[in-house]
Amino acid sequence: MTRIRVDGREIDADPKKPLIAACHSNGIDVPHYCYHPGLTPVGSCRICQVEVKQGEMPARLAVACRTPVAEGMVVDTRGEKSHQARKECLEFLLKNHPLDCPICDKAGECDLQDFTYDEGQAHGRTHEPRRKLEKRKSLGDVIVLDEERCILCSRCVRFFEEVPKKPQLTVADLGSRSVIATFQDRPLTGNYQGNIADLCPVGALTLKAFRFKARVWNLRKQASTCAECSRGCSTTVEVLRDGKVERFRPRENALVNRWWMCDTGRFAFHPVNRTDRALPAAIRGAAGLEPAPVEEALSLLADFLAVHPGALLLASPFLTLEEGRALLEFARARELEPHFLSPAPNGLADPLLHTGDPCPNRRGLTELGFAPLPPEEALARLGGAAAAILAGDRIAELVGLEGLGRLKPELRLVVFDCYPLDVPAVDALVGLPTHVERAGTWTNVDGHRGPISAARPPPPGVRALDRLLQAVPRNAAASRSAT
Amino acid sequence: MKTFPTYLLESARTPGAHALDVYRGRGGYAALEKVLKTPIPPAQVIAEVKASGLRGRGGAGFPTGLKWSFMPDPAKDPRPRYLAVNADESEPGTCKDRVLMERDPHGLLEGALIAAYAIRAGAVYIYVRGEYRRSYARLQAAIDEARAANLAGQKILGTDFSCELHLHQGAGAYICGEETGLMESLEGKRGHPRPKPPFPAGSGLWASPTTVNNVETIHNVPFIVNRGEAWFRSMGTPASTGNFLCGISGHVERPGVYELPFGLAAREILEEVAGGVWKKRRLKAWFPGGSSTGLLPASAIDVRMDHDSIKAAGSMFGTAAMIILDEESCVVRASHVIARFYDHESCGQCSQCREGTQWLSQIFRRIEEGEGQADDVATLESLARGMAPGKTICALSDAAAIPTLAVIKHFRAEIEEHIRLKRCPFRDAATAGATAPAGVLEKGAVLR
Repeated sequence: MTRIRVDGREIDADPKKPLIAACHSNGIDVPHYCYHPGLTPVGSCRICQVEVKQGEMPARLAVACRTPVAEGMVVDTRGEKSHQARKECLEFLLKNHPLDCPICDKAGECDLQDFTYDEGQAHGRTHEPRRKLEKRKSLGDVIVLDEERCILCSRCVRFFEEVPKKPQLTVADLGSRSVIATFQDRPLTGNYQGNIADLCPVGALTLKAFRFKARVWNLRKQASTCAECSRGCSTTVEVLRDGKVERFRPRENALVNRWWMCDTGRFAFHPVNRTDRALPAAIRGAAGLEPAPVEEALSLLADFLAVHPGALLLASPFLTLEEGRALLEFARARELEPHFLSPAPNGLADPLLHTGDPCPNRRGLTELGFAPLPPEEALARLGGAAAAILAGDRIAELVGLEGLGRLKPELRLVVFDCYPLDVPAVDALVGLPTHVERAGTWTNVDGHRGPISAARPPPPGVRALDRLLQAVPRNAAASRSAT
Repeated sequence: MKTFPTYLLESARTPGAHALDVYRGRGGYAALEKVLKTPIPPAQVIAEVKASGLRGRGGAGFPTGLKWSFMPDPAKDPRPRYLAVNADESEPGTCKDRVLMERDPHGLLEGALIAAYAIRAGAVYIYVRGEYRRSYARLQAAIDEARAANLAGQKILGTDFSCELHLHQGAGAYICGEETGLMESLEGKRGHPRPKPPFPAGSGLWASPTTVNNVETIHNVPFIVNRGEAWFRSMGTPASTGNFLCGISGHVERPGVYELPFGLAAREILEEVAGGVWKKRRLKAWFPGGSSTGLLPASAIDVRMDHDSIKAAGSMFGTAAMIILDEESCVVRASHVIARFYDHESCGQCSQCREGTQWLSQIFRRIEEGEGQADDVATLESLARGMAPGKTICALSDAAAIPTLAVIKHFRAEIEEHIRLKRCPFRDAATAGATAPAGVLEKGAVLR
């Protein structure tokens, strides 16, 4: 560690990282556009100018993102000279900026807006017409580019070069005519396009899926973990007032996903936004599954287990460690063998993040003692079983709705799932919260634990699986005498 | 016309000297042979060049021998080493290297080989401006001849020194004449200048130790080797030794490239060498070293042409490309032409340069076209101060800011007159066939 002095404070700096990183890790805010900790610094936006004094040399302005730290260096980030340099820089950046914040999706989380509020000037001096460029240029299925808002920081260009290592974007043309472009206007490809919308410090690159959907200050944000594969990228779930999930965004995690996530995970909010949810409980009656009190459904489960020892217990790979433990306890008390459904790899694996394994908690459930069961085998066992419990998010869909539909009605089957299911074999269906409605922990493929948390409440009356299991009567007789 | 002892242009003046036999017939490649066969150790070549006081002719005037000595010790650094010759001469006004490359290509090759030997580079890359087609053709022919005569390539002249010569044709971007932009371009990338540090000697071409020298600088090297550092120091001034090529253009009687000793008065160059301001007009302003050096008023014409004197006068020696503006020229229009050039050629990386060069150009255009605003001069001044010095990755931003500040310093009244009149007084004068209003021309002394 190198000892340096910033704004009168002694701080420890990593000698392998530029000065700006030392400032940021010590809570000293230095504005930046082209700099991003996950990308090679290029020092082009010039907004991070600070006053640096080294040895006997007089203090000079330097861009913090390209200045190596040196023992005894004295830095002033708040002085008049650096403030003036940043103010000038902002004026240049705003010269051709359309200032369409009122209709810009980035407003509220825009670095240009924020730093201008901090250090910019309140009025523009330009008498020139602003640059007229393409306002909505499609860069493929995921991203739309507003060339007028772009400040040419080139983070997006470097992202494709350095992270997925498949260059796709470039700065085309020169000087004030520069624009971000793909080769021959081809659409962007790959599973990591969405990251450039997060990286973009202004509203130039926006997600088509988020375009005009929400003002960011209306989004409630909750730290969570991606459910799409066993990598378990750290995420933020962003929910609008009505409870609709509008975004999953990557959350920095040096051990798992750094600053990135794949588009598969990023856009996986459609399942959690389904409005057709399983009722708190439903029991098969004359007219099919009919609403019933949760306790009744749980009693029915207890009855089945009393009559049919050795029922098949199949958990969803989405269960948290906490739910897994509760289910394991439940199974041991009733001498049931614990299994979890293990779908085949989905072919989305890549060298960067996606593992191709759609089980976010495979490692956690395996370590708890659950045995993996592929869907075909699960269906075969269900076909031969007298009674079975399916438990966890999307379990019916993962086993296969068609296969479940072919099961004999004689099978005593209780399903805990988030979504409705009406196949003849189901005797009771108990609703569950999705992974954005409950708290818990998943263990990723490398053994790192990631939290999921409740970004919104579950539908009324729906309880988490571990709470439901605690409420299942210890034995059938007890349950009958209680009711 | 006043004449001076010359050496740089001697070969260039000899008909056919671009061919190897004529060049050798004049004693060409003797310096290379002397260095390789004596042999003179590389460190001694560097010491000789250092002692000669040779300063770079590409604009910055950095001491050449000192630059060479920045190359790391090859015993401690096993990376390949390169010499890049900057032949991307693109500064408006500058046209000196072209003369050397077209007429004396072997002079460049000989100098480059000696320089490569001194810094122990195994390859030389000559980056030629894209529009310089004849320079390219002549250099390629010269390289082919040199290779065939074992003056380049493996085991040159039977010694252990091997060095390949490569020619690269630019694609027309001014910014590729900036040394790190040049290296990016040579590597096949966009000519985006690199932040420094690292400097080229530490990490240049393909992240290896590299020295970048200008054509004219390299051309001086064989003469220093042949005739010695003391001879070289006998010309010019103590701080700016030798002769330099002065490309004088604009409103002069005899524009052209002249070889002159440092320290000559600019007035002498203009009047004695270039025949004075054309059409018997009076001098209004002049750029000492190309469009990026701040213009000076006629009153400064007695300044001496060497690095320190020009600096003391408030401008820069640059590439010694004097641009002469006569009494009928409009400095606002000239400033717009220059600002437009830098707007066109900015690479666009740095915010200040990308937006600032465009902004300067827009303001000068408006003023010239009669749409000036009261706050324009103040805006120009503060923009230029926001763009320089040293606020950006490379000096292109400075190159646009410096002439802007200079024109405000020396001709503020003329700019303000444009704004007040809502028109260019010179343009109207030209169309009316009359001279410009006296009110403008009486500002500042003029030369007859």
